[in-house]
Amino acid sequence: MRNSQTVVKSGNAYAKKLYGEWNQIMTPQALTNEEVDAVLYYVDNFVPPVPKGGDQPTPVGAPAAEAPMWPWLIVVGLLLAVVTLSLGGVRTSLTNAVREAEGQQAIRDRTGLKRFYDLAGDNKIFASVIGLSLVAWLLVSGWYWALTIGVYGGDTVEHYRPEQPILFNHTLHAGKADKNNLAINCQYCHSSAEKSKHAGIPAPTCMNCHKAVAQGRSDAGTKEIQKIYAAVGWDPEKLAYTGKEDPIEWVKVHNLPDHAFFSHAQHVAVGKVECQECHGPIDEKMDVAEQWAPLTMGWCIQCHNEKDVKMAGNGYYDELMVRMEANEKLGHRELKEYLEDEKITVKELGGWECAKCHY
Amino acid sequence: MRMQPLSIGTALAVMTLFTACGEPNSPGIEYMPDMYRSPSMEAYLDYGQDPFIFGDSLAVAQRERQSARLPVVGTVPFSWDPSKKEFNFHYPYPATPEGYEQAGLELKSPIAMTQETVDRGKVIYTKFCMHCHGEKGAGDGAVVTNGKYSQPPSYTAALKDLPEGKIFHSLVYGKNVAMGSHAGQLDKEERWLVTRYVQYLQNGGKLGRATTTPADSTIVPAVAAVTTTATAAK
Repeated sequence: MRNSQTVVKSGNAYAKKLYGEWNQIMTPQALTNEEVDAVLYYVDNFVPPVPKGGDQPTPVGAPAAEAPMWPWLIVVGLLLAVVTLSLGGVRTSLTNAVREAEGQQAIRDRTGLKRFYDLAGDNKIFASVIGLSLVAWLLVSGWYWALTIGVYGGDTVEHYRPEQPILFNHTLHAGKADKNNLAINCQYCHSSAEKSKHAGIPAPTCMNCHKAVAQGRSDAGTKEIQKIYAAVGWDPEKLAYTGKEDPIEWVKVHNLPDHAFFSHAQHVAVGKVECQECHGPIDEKMDVAEQWAPLTMGWCIQCHNEKDVKMAGNGYYDELMVRMEANEKLGHRELKEYLEDEKITVKELGGWECAKCHY
Repeated sequence: MRMQPLSIGTALAVMTLFTACGEPNSPGIEYMPDMYRSPSMEAYLDYGQDPFIFGDSLAVAQRERQSARLPVVGTVPFSWDPSKKEFNFHYPYPATPEGYEQAGLELKSPIAMTQETVDRGKVIYTKFCMHCHGEKGAGDGAVVTNGKYSQPPSYTAALKDLPEGKIFHSLVYGKNVAMGSHAGQLDKEERWLVTRYVQYLQNGGKLGRATTTPADSTIVPAVAAVTTTATAAK
C-alpha cells in the first residue's frame, strides 16, 4: 500500500494483474502505518449493510405470535433417538447375518428397549428411584399445568389479551390528565358498573364525543374512529346518522363461568372497590385491555377474607349494623369477635358462604 | 421398537395441542364448557363456543342467538318506589330549540337544593361531566386541555343564569355537536342531582339560589297534560 510501484516492479503476479486491470494506474499513497492498519481493519471486519425496513413498530393489539421452539427440539431429539436406535438394530442384524453365514451362533438381540430393560433389571434400586422421581415429577408438573386451565390472568400465566374489532386505547382515554391523557372516568363509558351485574360496553356513548372528534392523534387513530362511524351509521361529512348500523362484535375479555355469580354493582356501589383493584393498571399501561386478575375462586375468597367492609355511606349495611348492635345488647358477642382484628371482613359477613356466589 | 409410531404420534398430538393455544384471540381450553356457558340468556355473553377449538360453524350458529337488545321505542323507566314517583314520567319536551326554551321556562326540579343532594350530584358530576367541564365548571377539563376539544362555556360566566330546565334538557338531548345525550348513562333522578350540583357551581360553590319546590308542584303543565291524556286513554 505504501509503495505500490515497488511491488509491481518486483514481479508480484497479483500486483501485476491489478495493475493491468486498472489501466496501469497505481498512484503512490501518502499513508501512515496507523492509517494502513485502520484500512485493513475495516476490510477484515466489513459486514454488508442489512437492508432497512425491518424497524417498523409492531401494531398495537397484534402481538407477534412467536411459536415456542421447544416442541421442535423435542421432535428433533426424538427423531435422532429413533435414528440412533434403528442404526444400532441394523448393525446387529448385519453382524448376525455375517455370523450366520460363517456358521456361528447369532448374538442375542440386545438392542433398544430390551437392552434398557436388562440394564434396569440389573440395577433395580437405582432404576426404581429414577423411575419414581420421574413419575413424581410428571404428576407434580401435570398438576400445576392443570391448575392453569381456564385461567387467563394473574402471575402464573400469560394474560388473555384478544385483538378487538376496534383498537380502543384505554390509556389515552382514561389515563391521568398530567400525562397528556383525557382522564375520562371509567364509569363514563362503563356506566352500568354501579347499577348492573355487568360493567357494560358503551354503545352510543362513543358518539357523545366522537361526533365532534373525527381525527385521532395519529392516522391509525383516525382509522379506528372511522370504524365507530361505520358501526353506528354516522356520516361525518353531513354530520347526520344514516341509519345503516353494523354492531361491533367486541371480544369478551373476562369470562366468568356461569356457575359463579358476580355482580359489578355490588362491588362498585356497595363495596366501593376501585376498578383497578381487579382490572389492573388499565388506565396507565394497558393500551389494549387484558385480563389482569386470575379470576380464580382462590383469588376471590382471598380478597373476601382480607377486605375491610366499607360500612359507611352507602346505606347497604345500616340495617345489619342496627341488628348487630341490638344483639350486642342482648349479650351476643359476634360484633366483638368480628372486630377483634379491628375490621369487619367480607368473610365475617358471610362472604365465604358457598351460596353467596354459587346458586 | 414397535412403540415408535405410537410415541411419535403422541408427541405430535401434544405439540399440536400446545401450539393451538398460541392463537391470541382464543381464550384457550376450559373445564366443562357446558357449566361455563349459561343456557339462560345473559347480557354480553358470547354464546359461541370457542371457534378455534370447536370449529366455526358451531360458533356461528350459537352466536346467532341475540343477547343485547334495545328497549321498545317509547319505554319509560318505572320505579315502584313511592319516593321516586316524580321520575316515572315520559320527558315531554322535544329535541328542538323551542323545546329547549320551553323546558327552561316550565321545567322545575323535583329535588330540593340541600347539601346532601349537592354532594350526591357532585359524585355524578365527577364521573360524567368533569373531564370536559372541569372541576369547577370553567370548561377546563382534560378532554378540552389535552384533547383539544371545543371548550364548553363556563358555569360562572356565560352559563351563570342558565335555568335548571335547560340544564336538564341538555342532559337529555345534548347540546350542539360537542355535547352528546347523557340520558343513556344517567337516569332522571341522577340528571336532577347533577343539575343541582351545576347550580351550586353557578352560584360560586354556595347553596341558596334554591328553587326548592315541594314535590307536588313539580309536575309541570306539559307533564300534567301528558299524564291526564294517558289516564283519559285508559
